[in-house]
Amino acid sequence: MKNYTLLISLLITTLLSGCAKDDRLHIRIWHQMQVAERIVMERQLDRYMQEHPDIRIEMLYKETEELRNDFIIAAYARQGPEIVYGPSDMIGLLAMLEVIRPLEQFFDEEYLDKFHETAQVWYEGHLYQLADKLGNHLALVYNKDILDVPPETTDELIEIGKKATKDLTGNGRIDQYGLVWNYTEPFFYVPFLAGFGGWVMDDAQEIPTLDTEANVRALNFIQELRDIHRIVPREADYEIADALFKEGRAAMIINGDWSWGGYMSAGLDIGVAPIPRVSETGLWASPMVSTKGFSINENIDDEKLPLALEIIKFLNEPENQLEVTREVKTFPTRIETYDHPIVTEDPILINSKRQIDVGKPMPIVPELRAIWDSMRPHYQMVLNGRKSAEDAARDMQALAERKIMEMLE
Amino acid sequence: MIERNRKLFPYLLILPAALVMFGVVFYPFIYNLVLSFSNMSLRNFREWQIIGFDQYYKVFFEPSEPSFYTIFLKTMIWTVVNVTFHVVIGVMLAMLLNRQIKGKSIFRTLLILPWAIPQYIVALTWRGMFNYEYGSINLLITKYLGLPAVEWLRSPTEAFIAVIITNIWLGFPFMMVIALGGLQSISNEFYEAADIDGASAWQKFRNITVPLLRPVMIPAITLGIIWTFNNINVVWLVTSGGEPADQTHILVSYVYRAAFGLYRYGYAAALSMVIFFILLIFSLTFMQRTQATKSAY
Amino acid sequence: MRNNAKFKKKLADAAAYLVLIIFAVIAIYPILQVLSISLRPGDRLLSTSLAIIPDDATLAAYKELFTGRPFLLWMRNSILISFVVTSTGVVLAALAGYAFSRFKFRGRNVGLLSILVTQMFPATMLLLPMYIMLVKLGLINTFLGVIIIYSSTALPFCIWMMKGYYDTISPSLEEAARIDGCNQFAAFYKVVLPLTAPALVIVALFSFMTSWAEYVVAAQVLQDTNLWTLPVGLQTFQANMSTEWGLYAAASLIVSIPVVILFLMLSKFLISGLTLGSVKG
Repeated sequence: MKNYTLLISLLITTLLSGCAKDDRLHIRIWHQMQVAERIVMERQLDRYMQEHPDIRIEMLYKETEELRNDFIIAAYARQGPEIVYGPSDMIGLLAMLEVIRPLEQFFDEEYLDKFHETAQVWYEGHLYQLADKLGNHLALVYNKDILDVPPETTDELIEIGKKATKDLTGNGRIDQYGLVWNYTEPFFYVPFLAGFGGWVMDDAQEIPTLDTEANVRALNFIQELRDIHRIVPREADYEIADALFKEGRAAMIINGDWSWGGYMSAGLDIGVAPIPRVSETGLWASPMVSTKGFSINENIDDEKLPLALEIIKFLNEPENQLEVTREVKTFPTRIETYDHPIVTEDPILINSKRQIDVGKPMPIVPELRAIWDSMRPHYQMVLNGRKSAEDAARDMQALAERKIMEMLE
Repeated sequence: MIERNRKLFPYLLILPAALVMFGVVFYPFIYNLVLSFSNMSLRNFREWQIIGFDQYYKVFFEPSEPSFYTIFLKTMIWTVVNVTFHVVIGVMLAMLLNRQIKGKSIFRTLLILPWAIPQYIVALTWRGMFNYEYGSINLLITKYLGLPAVEWLRSPTEAFIAVIITNIWLGFPFMMVIALGGLQSISNEFYEAADIDGASAWQKFRNITVPLLRPVMIPAITLGIIWTFNNINVVWLVTSGGEPADQTHILVSYVYRAAFGLYRYGYAAALSMVIFFILLIFSLTFMQRTQATKSAY
Repeated sequence: MRNNAKFKKKLADAAAYLVLIIFAVIAIYPILQVLSISLRPGDRLLSTSLAIIPDDATLAAYKELFTGRPFLLWMRNSILISFVVTSTGVVLAALAGYAFSRFKFRGRNVGLLSILVTQMFPATMLLLPMYIMLVKLGLINTFLGVIIIYSSTALPFCIWMMKGYYDTISPSLEEAARIDGCNQFAAFYKVVLPLTAPALVIVALFSFMTSWAEYVVAAQVLQDTNLWTLPVGLQTFQANMSTEWGLYAAASLIVSIPVVILFLMLSKFLISGLTLGSVKG
């Protein structure tokens, strides 16, 4: 009988574990970093904790969408982590829901000036995020075993792409494609929309601008790549494109900076280049450029606030940013790192920078979500041949306007 | 005294379970009911107010693509087709496994695997198998059956069929296990008596197996329908969130979209109340017709 | 005549095998694909090759899983939680199901229906209030929090299942037992309960799976990495557009092993019982 009592009390303590810890110097960071980035930050935080043994910092990974939803739910219940780390496109939403704190009073201007302008994410007059990574952008990646020089214009893209699209076994099925990418997803389409002179919303970031000539031409362009020039597969999503490129069955892929490390570790000899200029317009195809960085929970304890700020500053120190850059090839945000050899001598980072320079900042307003959701169905109908580009552009605009209205009800 | 005890006895048996279930569900349910009359949204997140039936009105009359009624119809088809196949395949396999044949335990183990493996990765594997150029399903169709390849994920109907196939695969082992358990309650004497009377296999199935399997299968089917109606995961994964062109959604996908896409919590709460009532009405009718609450003896 | 019957039986057996083989192949093919992913280097979810064992197969993912990630810790947590939920589910459902099957009492039908009602609400919308409730009860970041939620999710089916199975057992058994001097509870416990072994197995399997595979609630509630369960842990391999597919696939296969073992252990109760004793050649 005594044994039972012991067992039960043991069980109860295990079940309730996790609540009886001293958490005064406990900082939690929720993030959505992929493994390589995660490992570097964990290492840096370990170093910090070694210097400050009385502080415990804990990182918790969540997938991007979940990070946002779980954080909102937790913060609504007056809970959640002290620091939330994620892409800048969630900032408008979190700020609007009042679940993150304005930061401008905590960082003086002199300190902020040390950062790339884009890294300071402002919304409605307040600073809500301080970013340590710049980019999260698409670029053209090519397999050097198949291609020596990447295309500079879309005409070259088509020409090179046609040469690289091959039926090697002669069975009527194409074994190697010129270009693959997750083209059915609007985020991966937007560079070309920009290349034809369009964009998803106006400069004030209020009204969608999808019913435009540029959109129609860009939509037709993608369809022609597939159906007339036949340099892309009939059906491709992210995973198919990724698999084809990793297997060496595609000369080029359009993919983001998060994926390049994976291609290298899969043993591919890759080069990165800006997505080509659109020949008809002479404009660069501009991917969205955003940042990833730190925000602070609205419900943070006042006594923990200084520590949270200190940790953000620590992780943003130039050495620490450079360490990340060296290992995961993302672009840093501290200006003083920009002439460091790690940044200036790496061919991938040089080209990543070229792409960033011709990219366009990603809107951080929550309306962007409504725009993605409105573009997707009509865009796919064009690709499936069930709608003309003109109709699709018009319907996208109408749907986006309605969704934004619903969202802001 | 004894009489009173006897009256209390069933309540005592139910009490612990009832405490756990309603303790957890009661508060969230009331909370949602309140939200469904509120204007909680992106703009009114912390300070929301009760605004009456507006959100319900929007559920039925706000224009959307595809409309509420189209998706509702699709959800019905989705539910009925899935559950029918789950039950038919499950019962059939259970009856085969109940025969005296060799190697039963191997088959039993293999057939339960779709239930055992995490859904996320197999759903995505199925998505890969439906790929136009490289998927094994099209390969099977073209190479071995000599039929033209199907664009599974690019056309709405085919994509919907693809999701249903995936979900049938995921769901039949569960029904099989239940039917297997249910078959154990049927005494062989019934079949032996029927054999003496010269009954055919079909007659035995119809007059012995079905009625005696019913008490066990009816609850599984009722809940199977409720779960399938609200099963968002498989649809979302296989069609990558409703592709092509938002044509493969079911009603709950819209709840998710509204709540976590556009942050219209009030609207999402109203929509989920509507779903709740649809299922409630269904269950009431279904149980009345199958007399599920009555006993078999 | 006798030969004819034997032939018929053989034919039926052959047909049974054929159907079973077809379904077994359908059941395992996608799982072999998962095996293939787990052996594939370079984290490719898909491949243009149909070979199950890739040319460049490697066990690196399995090695990393056990040496580089706290996989065993997640497994321990999952087993603990699933064990508690399964025991709770079986005990509470066995009791409540019996009441619903054997007694006519006020509120019986309403009770049965309202059990179902708890399952009808889209889970998406329960997340926010459930979280608020757990915060108020101080159960965030505890196993107890998830266990309570899982039990409440599993119970409705379990109760209905038990009720259905009790219905197939004749009440005359208990009456006989009570004439022999058993009290009400003993009649249930000693006479009826052992006969429901197949249903108890189903209920146990179901409760186990409910907690074993659940992700959304666990991810919300368990915020300390030491408390993570397998599904939450597996999710760390998944990142938006850069999932570690090799690890994810390897882990998925290993995660299903305990379920299969449990099934094998319990399945003797699913096939024994009444039918086995009366086989006649």
